[in-house]
Order: sequence, then structure tokens, then C-alpha cells
Amino acid sequence: MGTAMPRRIALVEDDPAIRANYADALGKHGHEVLAYGSRNEAMAAFRVRLPDLAILDIGLGDDSDGGFALCRDLRALSAGLPIIFLTARDSDFDVVSGLRMGADDYLTKDISLPHLLARIAALFRRIDVQREPKAADDILERGQLALDMKRFTATWNGARVELTLTEFWMVHALARFPGHVKNREQLMREANLVVDDDTVTSHMKRIRRKFQAITPAFDEIETVYGMGYRWKG
Amino acid sequence: MHRFFSLGLRGQLALAALVLLALPWVGWRYVQEMEGFLLEAQEQTLLGTARAVSTALHERPALMALRSLSPRPFELGIDPLYWFPDTPSSADTEPGPARGESANAREGEIEAILKGIERSTSRIWVVNREFRVIALAGNLKRAESAEVSGSWYADILRELSSRILQRPTENFDAATPEDVLSSGPEVLAALQGAPRTRVRQTPDGKAAIVSAAHPIWAGDEVVGAVVAEESTNSILSVRNRALERLLLATLASFVIASAVLLGLATRISWRIRRLRDETEGAIDAQGRITRKLSGTRAGDEIGDLSRSFSAVLERLAEHHSYLETMASRLSHELRTPVAVVRSSLENLKLEPSPAEARVYVQRAEQGLARLSTILTRMSEASRLEQGLLATERERFDLTLVVSGCVEGYRSAFPARQFDLLIPDAPVAVEGSPELIAQMLDKLVDNANDFGVPGTPISVHLERVGAVAELGEMGRVVLSVSNRGDPLPEGTRERLFASMVSVRRDAGGDKPHLGLGLYVARLIAEFHRGSIHAENLPDGQGVAVKVQLTPLA
Repeated sequence: MGTAMPRRIALVEDDPAIRANYADALGKHGHEVLAYGSRNEAMAAFRVRLPDLAILDIGLGDDSDGGFALCRDLRALSAGLPIIFLTARDSDFDVVSGLRMGADDYLTKDISLPHLLARIAALFRRIDVQREPKAADDILERGQLALDMKRFTATWNGARVELTLTEFWMVHALARFPGHVKNREQLMREANLVVDDDTVTSHMKRIRRKFQAITPAFDEIETVYGMGYRWKG
Repeated sequence: MHRFFSLGLRGQLALAALVLLALPWVGWRYVQEMEGFLLEAQEQTLLGTARAVSTALHERPALMALRSLSPRPFELGIDPLYWFPDTPSSADTEPGPARGESANAREGEIEAILKGIERSTSRIWVVNREFRVIALAGNLKRAESAEVSGSWYADILRELSSRILQRPTENFDAATPEDVLSSGPEVLAALQGAPRTRVRQTPDGKAAIVSAAHPIWAGDEVVGAVVAEESTNSILSVRNRALERLLLATLASFVIASAVLLGLATRISWRIRRLRDETEGAIDAQGRITRKLSGTRAGDEIGDLSRSFSAVLERLAEHHSYLETMASRLSHELRTPVAVVRSSLENLKLEPSPAEARVYVQRAEQGLARLSTILTRMSEASRLEQGLLATERERFDLTLVVSGCVEGYRSAFPARQFDLLIPDAPVAVEGSPELIAQMLDKLVDNANDFGVPGTPISVHLERVGAVAELGEMGRVVLSVSNRGDPLPEGTRERLFASMVSVRRDAGGDKPHLGLGLYVARLIAEFHRGSIHAENLPDGQGVAVKVQLTPLA
């Protein structure tokens, strides 16, 4: 992870041990970590200066949805700031709520540090590429689908599909080899994700729905029962 | 728990009501005693009558010298008073000691006495020492009193009682005094000087006659006897009336008591049965509490029982939901400490450490991975339950899902042989193909864990009960069976409950929490189907069957 310039990463986590561990690990990878234990403490600091990336827990002490509120407030301060939820809560409801609040990704605490670092790096890369519009494109095109491998953005039929990083990587894994069946483990590996099968299923559902919002008849992603998914192409 | 001989509450109370039958028996005994008293009283009265008559006749030896009654047939209902003074035509008469004026005077005297006797209700005769009847007055038979009909029930009762009771009749054979005298020990005793009573049957047996005999003294000598007779019909009618009333009273009280007891028993058994049905209905085959018991407000023991049942069920339901959510709450609570351990280990790996330390870190990570798997599985069911609410139902072909999944299993479990049997025609069902695949995953996982290594796993999809002509779709049964030990007795329904495992040893490195079949059940129920497990017919394996309703 050779990052040219040090990034300021805000970590809002109420458990002191986890907070210290993540802060140490991120620090060792050359990031500047600002660790906060509560919503108020974090918000006070964000008003003074925004970090480059925010990692939020949902439950903050007694405030069981404090992370959601913090995400909303932070999004109000900055539309472009990358926000990641890192939480113990893994229900579909929480995932959907978190993403709807404007978070860029939703991770559970099962994730390993290398996976987390890969995501952080990817998010920073996306920001960097957006800042340098002249950079050479690295586009993967499959029919109406176009995946910008630098900006981690997807377009379908020319329209932007708002995919999270996890979703982008999953679509990429499928579309890279159309017709090939990718099972759930492969998809998870591609997405730098440690989740169970159901989470893959609900991710695929959300991805389909995002494409169907543009083209209602979208059926490029095919379920191969008992095996996995494939991009029809 | 039906024994061969079992009585319901109503039957038991009806049996208990039979005790009431002792009442008529007691009454009957009472009436019998009363009858005995009356009979004795009648005997004493008759004896009194005989004594009174004989008192009037004492010391009149001349009287006894009178001609005795001529032996002609007794005629009924004619003149109740027969008095035969000397009749010359009579052959066997003795010449009286006194004739003429004095005889006439005596006759008049005796006639006067007997006239008085005539008023009595008894038949009285006077006999001399030769057993000859010298005077007879009165009649054994009373005038038949017309039974006044009181009311309809009295008529019915009388009709009924006449079948049971012997009714006194006046149509009996009143024996002639000669017959009586020849066979009457009481007359014999009286002629020997001792008053005596006797009860005898008429020759035709239709009535009983009470007779009392009293000697007539003349000096120290018995010159004759007065015999007073009455039928017992008046006592019989008194007895019959008493028995009729007794019958009426006991019958009425029996009917009323039985009706009350029956009503009470019916109500009690209805309430108990309702309580039973409600209690049984509150818990489904899997032991889950599906609805609460209303609990009546009745203040008696049954109301109390229903309230305590209701309270017990409520507490049981709370405990049940606590158990069902425990897995997910536990997994949630454990995630944070697991994250602490994981991030610590990962930090440790970034530090320079001796080679032997790395081995321990690696082992710790392996343990952590297993722990994570357990936590994920524990929350799987509750995540699924939440997810089901938002799942959209679609129409899909079950055969495609099943065959696709089995293809997947063949590559996922290369050491295992899979027997697939599916209908040629598509089987359309409504639901979620992903969920069906997830359910099949659980069932195949389960079969793989239980199946004897090297034996095949059968996945069968069959239509049952379909009648194409009638448009009857029947059911579709998806069964997954493995060879291996049969199910332990009594575990079939519990298998599908949360965190229930009938596995004897949870060996191996795969955690087993008893949630797989629970997840399968949730999915089957989401598809409005049912799931159950059964032993294979040969007892050498287990089949888990899911019944679904296909679409047309």
C-alpha cells in the first residue's frame, strides 16, 4: 500500500480495544488515524476539519443508531467524503439503512484487516481518479455495461449505476468472463468480503434492482441454482 | 389415553345419581312398616269389637241355645243381617230350653244388640260350642268407591302404579262362615277361652281377611264365641295411596335431580373440553405457542385452571421467543469481543515475532475462524426471518432449481453420489428460488453429515395427488434422504425447532447448532408448505420431506 500522501482517517468506535487495534493497524499502514469514542466528540472534530475518510460504527455507546445519525450529519457537511460502516450488525435492514444514509460501503467486523485496507485503498483511489479527470481510462465494456476500473464506477446504457464498492467488485467479477458461473465464495473473494452466502444473495438482489431501475427488463445476471451467478453477456 | 372402559364426567355423575334409587326402596320399607302397624291396629280393633259384642252376650246361656243358622248357601249383598230364630222346617235344630214369650223377648234383646253391631263395618258372627253359627251380621265387602280422577298425571300415575301394585278388589270370594269355622284356629282358641286373631287369605287369594274371635262366657263355661272379620282392603288402599305418592315423589325428584346433575356435568365437561381444545390448539406440532389462551373469568376451579393454563402458556411463549432469539442476540453480543481478538491477532502478525509464536497466532486464527462460522450460523435464522418479510414472491420452475442445485452439490461433494429424480414436466411454484436453494442446501448438508460415507443421497421431486382431468394440482413433495441411523424415537417434530440437534456426537470441525433444519422449516413455511422427517421404510436411513403446493 504505497500511498504517496498520508491520509487522515476518522475512526468512530465505542469499544476502546477495537478502536485502538484498528487505529494501530491503520497507523502502521501510513495513515493518520483520528479515533473517537462518541458521536458528539466526533462531530465536534469534523466541524473543525473534515477527515479524508470516515469509518463509523452504528451503535455508539447508549446511542444504538448513533452511527446512522453521524453519517447523515457528515454527508450534510460533505457530499464527496467516503464513509464506511464497520459494525457488528449484519441484518439486511441495517445494511440497507446504512447505504441509504449515503455510506459508500457497509462492512461487518468479520472483515480481516487486509480486506479492510484494500477497501480503504480502493476508495482513496476512486477519489484520486475523480480529481484527475485527464487520467487514461481503464474501461471494461460488456455490451451496454461499462465498468471504469479506475474510478470504480459503472454505467449501463450510458446511465450511471450507483454501485457500492462491494457491488462494483461483484459485477466486475461476473462481467469479466461472461457466461462463466461464479460461485459465492469466488464472488466474496473478488469483493474482498468475508460474508455468508445469504449476504451474497442479498447483494445480488440489490445489484439487480439498481440495474432494473434503469432498464426494468434487465436480466443479464443469471442465477445458476446451487452453483452461483453468471453474466449472460 | 382411552382405556377400554372409560366413563366421561356425565357417565360418572349419572352413575352417582343411581344412589337416588335407594330413596324409593327406603320409602317402600317405610310403607311396609306402616302397613304392618295398621294391620296390627286393625286386629286389635277387631278384637275389641269381638270383645265388646261378647261382653254384651256374656251370661246369657239361653241365647246359645237358640237355633243355629241354617246351613244354606251364603248370599251376597242381600240382607246383611241374618238371624234365624227357631224355624220348624229346619231338621237339625235342637229344641231350645226356652220357647215362647221368653224366647221372643230374648230374641228382641239379641236383635237389638246385633242391630247395633250391624252399624259396624265388620262382619260379625256368633258361634256356639258346636261351631254352629247362630248369628251373623255385616258384610265383608265394602261398596266400591268410584276412583275420582284428579288430574292427568294422577291418572297416568294410577295407571302406572296399578301395573306394579296389587289393587284391593271387592270382588273376592267371601268364604262362608262354615268354611272359616272348620279351618279357623282363632275360633277354636276362643271356644277354649282364649281371644285370638288371625289373618287369612280368601279361598281365591284375592283378598286378606283379618278375623278376631272372643269367647262368650256363661259362668265358668265358654258357651260360644264372637268372631269379627274385616278385609284388609282399607289398609291396602291406604298403602297403595302412600306408595303412589311415594312413587310420584321419588320419580319427580329423580328426574329433577338427574336433569340438574346432567346439566351440571354437561356444562363442566363442555368447559373442560373447551379448555383442552384451546390448550391443544395453542401449541402446534413443533411445540411452538401459536396463540394465547383467552382464560375465562369464571370464579370456580375450572376458571382458575384456565387462567393458570393461560399464564403458563404465556410464560412458556416468552421463554420460547427468548430461546428463538437467543442465538441471534448471543451472536451479536459475541461479535465485538471476537473483533477485538481478531484485530489484536492481526496487529500481532504485523509485529516482528519469533517463528514459534507465529504457530500459536495461526492456531488462534483457526479457532477464531470457527468461532466466526458459529456466530454467522447462529444469526442466520433470525436474519432469514427478517429477510422473509421483504422477500418478493415470484413464479419459478422447481425442477430447474432442484436439478441446478444437485449439479452444484455433485461438484461440492465429489465423494458423494447424488440420485436425482425429477418430473419431466416443469413444476411451477410461487416463492423465492434462492430460498428454495438455501433450503435444499440445508437439507443436503444435513443428509451429508448423517449419511454413511460412500452411500448415495437421494433428492426426489414428485407430484402426488394430481388429477389432470379435474385440474387438481395435488402437492409436490421434495425429499432428501440418506442412508444411516434412523431417527431416535420422539424427535421427529423437535428436529425442526431452533437449536435442536439429535446428533449423538457433535464431532468434527464443523460446528453443529441444530439451526439448519430450523432454517429449512422457515423457508418451507414461507412457501406455505410443510416439512417433516421420517425413517426410510427399511429403517436404514432418514428422509426429510417438504410438501409444497404447485401452481397451475
